[in-house]
Amino acid sequence: MIDNCRTKVVLCISVLFIGLDFISAQQVVRYDLYIRDTVVNFTGKEKRAISVNGQIPMPTLNFTEGDTAEIYVHNELNEKTALHWHGLFLPNKEDGVPYLTQMPIEAHTTYLYRFPIIQSGTHWYHSHYELQEQIGMYGSFIMRKRKHDPTFRKGIDDLPTVPIVLSEWTNYKPENVHRMLHNASDWFAIRKGTTQSYGEAIKQGYLKTKLNNEWKRMTAMDVSDVYYDKFLINGRNESQLSQFKGGDKVRLRVSNGGASSYFWLQYSGGKITVVANDGNDVEPVEVDRLIIAVSETYDILVTIPNDSIAYEFLATPEDRTKFTSIWLGSGVKKLANPMPKLKYFEGMKMMNGMMRMNGDLDDMGMHMSLNRMDMNVVMYPEITGASKKKKDKGMADMDMGNSPSAQEDQYNANALSDIVTLNYSMLRSPTPTKLPQAPVKTLYFTLTGNMNRYVWSIDNKVVSEADKILIHKGENVRIVIYNNSMMRHPMHLHGHDFRLLNGQGDHAPLKNIVDIMPMETDTLEFNANVYGDWFFHCHILYHMMAGMGRVFTYEDQPANPEIKNPKYAQRKLFSDDRKFHFMAENDFATNGNDGMAMYSNTRWQLSSEWRLGYHDMHGYEIENHVGRYIGKMQWFMPFIGYDYRYRMQDGEINFQAKNIFGQTDTKDNRQALSVGIQYTLPMLVKLETEVFTNGTVLIQLKRDDIPITKRIRAHLMINTDKEYMVGAQYVLNRFIAFRVHYDSDMGFGVGLNLNY
Amino acid sequence: MKTLIGLIATIPSLLIVAPGNGQIKNAKTITVNVYGNCGTCKRNIETAANTKKVSAAEWNENNSTAVLIYDSTKTTADAILKKIALAGYDNQSYLAPDVAYSKLDLCCQYERKKISKLTAQHSGEANMKPDMTAMSSQDINKQAAQTKNENILSAVYLAYFGIKDALIKGEGNAASAKAKELFKAVDAVPMDKLSASQHTIWMKHMKDISYNAEHIKSTTETEHQREHFTKLSIAMYEVMKIIKADYPIYYDHCPMYNSGKGGDWLSKESDIKNPYYGSQMLSCGSTKEVIK
Repeated sequence: MIDNCRTKVVLCISVLFIGLDFISAQQVVRYDLYIRDTVVNFTGKEKRAISVNGQIPMPTLNFTEGDTAEIYVHNELNEKTALHWHGLFLPNKEDGVPYLTQMPIEAHTTYLYRFPIIQSGTHWYHSHYELQEQIGMYGSFIMRKRKHDPTFRKGIDDLPTVPIVLSEWTNYKPENVHRMLHNASDWFAIRKGTTQSYGEAIKQGYLKTKLNNEWKRMTAMDVSDVYYDKFLINGRNESQLSQFKGGDKVRLRVSNGGASSYFWLQYSGGKITVVANDGNDVEPVEVDRLIIAVSETYDILVTIPNDSIAYEFLATPEDRTKFTSIWLGSGVKKLANPMPKLKYFEGMKMMNGMMRMNGDLDDMGMHMSLNRMDMNVVMYPEITGASKKKKDKGMADMDMGNSPSAQEDQYNANALSDIVTLNYSMLRSPTPTKLPQAPVKTLYFTLTGNMNRYVWSIDNKVVSEADKILIHKGENVRIVIYNNSMMRHPMHLHGHDFRLLNGQGDHAPLKNIVDIMPMETDTLEFNANVYGDWFFHCHILYHMMAGMGRVFTYEDQPANPEIKNPKYAQRKLFSDDRKFHFMAENDFATNGNDGMAMYSNTRWQLSSEWRLGYHDMHGYEIENHVGRYIGKMQWFMPFIGYDYRYRMQDGEINFQAKNIFGQTDTKDNRQALSVGIQYTLPMLVKLETEVFTNGTVLIQLKRDDIPITKRIRAHLMINTDKEYMVGAQYVLNRFIAFRVHYDSDMGFGVGLNLNY
Repeated sequence: MKTLIGLIATIPSLLIVAPGNGQIKNAKTITVNVYGNCGTCKRNIETAANTKKVSAAEWNENNSTAVLIYDSTKTTADAILKKIALAGYDNQSYLAPDVAYSKLDLCCQYERKKISKLTAQHSGEANMKPDMTAMSSQDINKQAAQTKNENILSAVYLAYFGIKDALIKGEGNAASAKAKELFKAVDAVPMDKLSASQHTIWMKHMKDISYNAEHIKSTTETEHQREHFTKLSIAMYEVMKIIKADYPIYYDHCPMYNSGKGGDWLSKESDIKNPYYGSQMLSCGSTKEVIK
């Protein structure tokens, strides 16, 4: 699978520790990491990736509590980098967030991270620079307990361990993935088979659901944003650890190093015992399966029941498009239950129910938290049945909608089936985790965002729009987070563990990531005990880059010696979410060229639309707008524009035409500035009202990309200049679509639509 | 265990000229072991292995082997065997997922003994899926030391709980299968080993139990099954009250069933999981009594 190229990518599971006796504590442990460009071949195509010491994932780093880590990073790339030690307690300047805790490591230089290891547990590390994490820069970071640690657990901490790093691979450049997400490209949905078009809706009897969905201004729903070509465990899609024998117990130290994929974990040899989460011990809890959020870690015990059978440890991404597995033991292979495909229209129906007309979510009084209720169960065939069953008529008549508890059960996977799914309320720390007595500062965050423009934020502000959050050293910070967006978000705090208040009282588990599903509210608290600028952000890489985060900073803290020019650093930090994304398309048709180009970021959009005929009779027109999106859902955009139009028919320009307001229609010869507003109506129809400097008023209704089938999109437009256009296109591939359309000015046209 | 290993070890990779593979290029033919037991199995296995112009299979019921023909440049025998296992059929390379096996038609649920014996051998306390068969054998051992009578009726009780669990999920097929087990178990109760008082109560309700079990067995329509399940549960309650299990049994009641007349059921678990409405109203109901 992996090609013989500049460097060889090797499997990273060679380090397997049995017993801890040979490792003595209190020493300096040095690692040298050589970061290089490489070429990988996961899918039959050679693609660029980044390897460290010749491998993907990065090598597993092993320490014992009490050690001092000395990690030399040799950046042999032609670009900058920075490494973040995920979940570690360390001095702020070693935290590895470029432009916040350090300046990035320049190309072809060496940088030293040096910090004492003051905790134990399963953690991981990854690049925090731009999108490097997507293409190979992730690895395990394991800190063992000292031999005589009072929390040492016999039968758990003395088992053989295997580091497991989950990740995903896309053949697209991550920068391109990011750009496509921002431009609401539905190419990923086509690849995943999740277009949810009208055609499919009608076929499956969900037309009303689809109409209602678009009425509420939602596009196709999905549980993840990106299409991936391969999913990997320790850099391989499938691999085997044949050294294990029947009766062996193994501790898997699982980190989710995926940039944007949650994974379901299952094991075919029996139950999974969860013993730690985010590097912190929890009391053992037995489950059939669990979902690991992006950047979380879980330590789990599994048993190999039999000598002559290899058991499957199966990781399935949340969208269930593919899977990756590792076999434990040798012999005939016992398969885990594959996860059946999601029932997307059921999910759409559920979203319709939860979505108010104004884009807010409505939990209908269910007080959701801690992943206990999973609205997505309506899509899980293994919990809620394979396909639509005929409704029990007697039941449908009964009124059960009013009782929140009856509704809650509809979404509680553990009540609905005998499959036990882990949720946060089942995690309990073996030791009390009460915070020291101190004043409490309470903060309320609402997670916000919209899929159409791929804007993700907290309280409708991205990093560059919000101030740093000032906290006092010594105080306890309590954060109440509500997710009012349509996606789940794994929120990660740097440099601290927080207690997740989950009903376990003093034994609330310590974590550094909390996954919050839509409509959930979670409360977490931590003692502010280390100076620095600490990032708090959604760990879905593309959400973070879109600006979904905040920075915590301590009052009266000493300056960070690594940041010599704080103003410059801040500007660079903010540039991530201020970034503009470009898209363009043009239809080369028989009756002219139709196209548009757009350059936009979180709030601003510069766009240009053109229709260029091949001769004067068809005319030429170009409309340019500069607008700013307002509001959380970004349905409203005031803009200023400039129109240029010219058309000559039968040798003369038509000055006689009137628009429907009786004004002289200048559509055949117009060079004018304008102001206007664009508003997205239900059914995703864009209403544009524009007034030109020459007094003309133009009102236009437009709907693009109506999904008719998996690959056919229809377009409609009509305006008060008595112009109209209907068209449809068939998406051939990511760049090309075959398009037919009829335009009132230019007539019938057939062509190829190219887009970038 | 030896038998299985023996089978695997002796599998010959026979290269024979297979008929009807004209469409498959670069054809390679191999004979493999695939377990199953009937004509439906044959169809399932062959469908799972079939990909147009890439692979095909012919399964032989008599000796549980399949001849695979495939384009060796496009797929592998291993990949085909994995597909067959995912369809529910154990074979020389893969053991089917438990869910896939349990979803097979009743006639297709071939004997999986060799494999379950294999897996049971090292099954630590908590590491096996709590499947019914493994539980019952453990229970029987435990109970042998206590009372012989419980031993006798435990199969009846477990089959009853099986029906209840199937109805919770709204699975008519499974409920029917479990009812068949119950019917058999009732038949197999050695009456001479019951004490006099137990004998009386058993004789009084046995007919109701087997009558309703038979009705549940003979349909896959859950609504009809549930009608008989209410009656079955009343009879079972009377028996369980006297001939106690060594685990607590919860006597639960749903006030809504049957237009408000209500319905009862018995459960080994304290959680309310309503067998009358399944996922629609899973936690409707309350515990009336705990039989200990």
